[in-house]
Amino acid sequence: MGIGSTQPLLSIRNLTVRFGTFTALDNLSFNLDSGKTTAVVGESGSGKSVTALSVMGLVTLGTRAEIDAGEILFERKDGSTIDLLQCTEREMRSIRGNEISMIFQEPLTSLNPVYTTGDQVMESIQLHQGLTRRSAKDKALEMFEMVRIPRAEKVLTDYPHQLSGGMRQRVMIAMALSCDPKLLIADEPTTALDVTIQAQMLGLMKELQDQTGASVMLITHDMGVVAEVADDIVVMRRSKVVETGNVYDIFEKPEANYTRALLASIPRLGSMTGKSEPELFDLVLEANER
Amino acid sequence: MKAIAVKIFESFLLILAVIVFNFVLIYLAPGDVVDALSGGAFGDGREEINQLIREQMGLDQPFHVQLITYIGNVLTGDFGFSPIGNRPVIEMIAPRIFPTLLLALCALAFAVIIGVTIGSIAARRPTSFFSGGLTVFALIGFAMPVFWTGILLVLVFGVWLDWLPVSGMNNLRLSSSAGFVERALDTARHLVLPTISLGVIFLASYARLSRASMLEVLQSDYIRTARAKGLSEGPVMIKHALRNAVIPIITVLGMEFGVLLSGAILVETVFNWPGLGRLAFEAVLTRDTNVLLAILTMVSATVILANLVTDIAYRLVDPRIRIGDV
Amino acid sequence: MATAHPPSSALEATSAERYQGLRMFMANKAALFGAVLMAIILFVSYILPAIFTDDKFAYAGKRHLAPFSENGPFFGTDYLGRGVGLIVMHGGSTTLEVAGFAALLIVTVGAVVGALAGFYGGIVDRALMKVTEFFQVLPGLLFALVVVALFGASTITIVLAIGIISWPPVARQTRSEFLRQKNLEYVKAARSIGASNARIILRTILPNTLPVLIVQATLTMGAAILFEAGLAFLGLGDPESLSWGYYVGLNRQYFLVNWWGVTFPGFMVFITVLSLSLIGDGIQDAINPKLRGR
Repeated sequence: MGIGSTQPLLSIRNLTVRFGTFTALDNLSFNLDSGKTTAVVGESGSGKSVTALSVMGLVTLGTRAEIDAGEILFERKDGSTIDLLQCTEREMRSIRGNEISMIFQEPLTSLNPVYTTGDQVMESIQLHQGLTRRSAKDKALEMFEMVRIPRAEKVLTDYPHQLSGGMRQRVMIAMALSCDPKLLIADEPTTALDVTIQAQMLGLMKELQDQTGASVMLITHDMGVVAEVADDIVVMRRSKVVETGNVYDIFEKPEANYTRALLASIPRLGSMTGKSEPELFDLVLEANER
Repeated sequence: MKAIAVKIFESFLLILAVIVFNFVLIYLAPGDVVDALSGGAFGDGREEINQLIREQMGLDQPFHVQLITYIGNVLTGDFGFSPIGNRPVIEMIAPRIFPTLLLALCALAFAVIIGVTIGSIAARRPTSFFSGGLTVFALIGFAMPVFWTGILLVLVFGVWLDWLPVSGMNNLRLSSSAGFVERALDTARHLVLPTISLGVIFLASYARLSRASMLEVLQSDYIRTARAKGLSEGPVMIKHALRNAVIPIITVLGMEFGVLLSGAILVETVFNWPGLGRLAFEAVLTRDTNVLLAILTMVSATVILANLVTDIAYRLVDPRIRIGDV
Repeated sequence: MATAHPPSSALEATSAERYQGLRMFMANKAALFGAVLMAIILFVSYILPAIFTDDKFAYAGKRHLAPFSENGPFFGTDYLGRGVGLIVMHGGSTTLEVAGFAALLIVTVGAVVGALAGFYGGIVDRALMKVTEFFQVLPGLLFALVVVALFGASTITIVLAIGIISWPPVARQTRSEFLRQKNLEYVKAARSIGASNARIILRTILPNTLPVLIVQATLTMGAAILFEAGLAFLGLGDPESLSWGYYVGLNRQYFLVNWWGVTFPGFMVFITVLSLSLIGDGIQDAINPKLRGR
């Protein structure tokens, strides 16, 4: 994290977000390096998704959330650095979907059911790149081919309900990458998918990242996924950062107890030999004691 | 496509059923059918008219022959003769259709546009006072008798404030040389109060319905996606949210078209609007049964067609239904 | 609100439930307001006429179209010199009774059709639902106009005309309720001990559908009052009993000089329907708090 002299792409500093009396993010700080995949891990409710939505500037839209303090510094495409929290809504809109884009956990419900997939991808392209409808369509087709959607031409005119979950997630990825963003936030992108599709999707994301050079903020609770694709890790628990570091270092010698518990939660083949049910790990025991 | 063909066929069957039902009603009516049909005609001409009706309906024929003749007549636009108007019924009805449709569609547009707008605004602030007031507003809108709303509007805006005309469709003193635009503007002024009286019944319930459906849509994942794309709130609400939110309203529209036309009878009566409803009221007063039956058939057919149209509209708006079934 | 001990009998359980429901109803300010409004309406319609026993048709010697402030407790006179207030209080019972009987008919027909369709399913269901659809597309008021015009304007024809045309929504609601309960455990249990279909419909499912039907009856009665008022306004009412709607229709021609003759009876219709809606919504909330605010 922040190793070396280069400036980080995204730097979250002392971010505090509250929902009424509940503190969703408590003095959160971490950096995200250019061109790398940073996994934000933690159990549900630890504040991972709130972090992502804060970066997108979507956390206060239609919710009771309030940002109390902090800054989110982001290095734009033109090389300038701005604080996303100080941006006007107008500036934020030119960044969303263009410089920072996001894909969500539920591919089944993340696409609008009444428009074709092509329309939805083209909408993003036309909005940020000012292309004509025709060239936007070409670009959308190119994106569909890039994320390896078979019969891409036909899928452009399909409605979301005609596609499988894996295909819909590919459409989401195509949409997210269509404007060549510097940062892609992926919020549990594989959780809702079948295990085999999960592996495909992770492979695809890794490959696309190499191709485009985008940084990825991967939000997940699955340490198996982390091991597979992440360069850096941010471990979160109860609205706070527990530990950050390089993926090898953390897997090798985790410093926080919590990280150790998380790592122990990765099921291994044969680990249940001779046992009738899975063991409770420290985390649960600790939680019960409280 | 096949589903729509089936719907069209079903709609046709429903219209047939209405015609048969009408015939059975006349058949069951107490007393001589001829008396029931010539109802208000007295004096010298009566026996002549009765004879005419007997011949027309072929009353000496058995039930099923009469029925088939009746259906054939109605389907070819022959609704019999009106002894009161001294004309074929169809000639009395034809000029009344346009004013009724104009009024009904204006009221519907008024209710849908304003209702959906209010509901959508309320959905963006679900806990606000405005949003809570909507429920009260809906209850009041439902409870006001249409004719009473109409009379109150006439009293306030027509008589006390003297802002708008309260009777008829055009100013009688409008010179006959008035151009189309002038005439249309005059009609528009006459339309305002009837449209509001009729629209208000639905306005509040559409507002409430669209609030509920908008609330649900706004929480959905695809709205978050649209925002994450960098779209501004305008397109998010109008392009992405609204189209999904109106789906339940379209369903209700078709179902309530009958209520709308029923309400039109009362509103037309209050405002002397020269439509089918006003004609029905006059026909009740003069016991002109043939005219009433013809209006019932026409209006039922209109409701059935409206149902068909909303069904197709529903398919157009929601691709899940359009492409879902084979 | 947990009770200290579990209910020891089914009776205790249901009465506890009812008590809970009553509490929720009373706590619902809107519903309480509706109930108070209804009490006032019943007072005006049934107690006041017993106190003011003047003949409502007596117009001799009174001034025609006397203003609102004259004629003592009756708030002015109409075009025939009759006390407006007197006629309005007498009109109440007519309106309420026609609507009450119509609501009873609507709920009965709707419940029977819905129960049979929902319980038996298959071809019975499809046939009954087609019939329901047929009655739903007939424009209600116009249909009633035709029926009353053909068969004469008596209380019975009016009740029948309103009843025949208004039952489809109740049937749909009952049907979906029966469809839902048909596969629940207690119905399966009743079936497994060999209960007949009639017994399952009447003794097992119907009692559980009753709350829904009560709500429907309340809301339907409101709609029936509007229906009756509309018919009567068009002149299809019993001239002897002068319901509210009928009276508005009579006074319509004179409304420029006699605005209270149309506004008063119309206002009575308005608050009666409003109070029934509030009560109906209140019962609904008490039965199913989750749907609140929808």
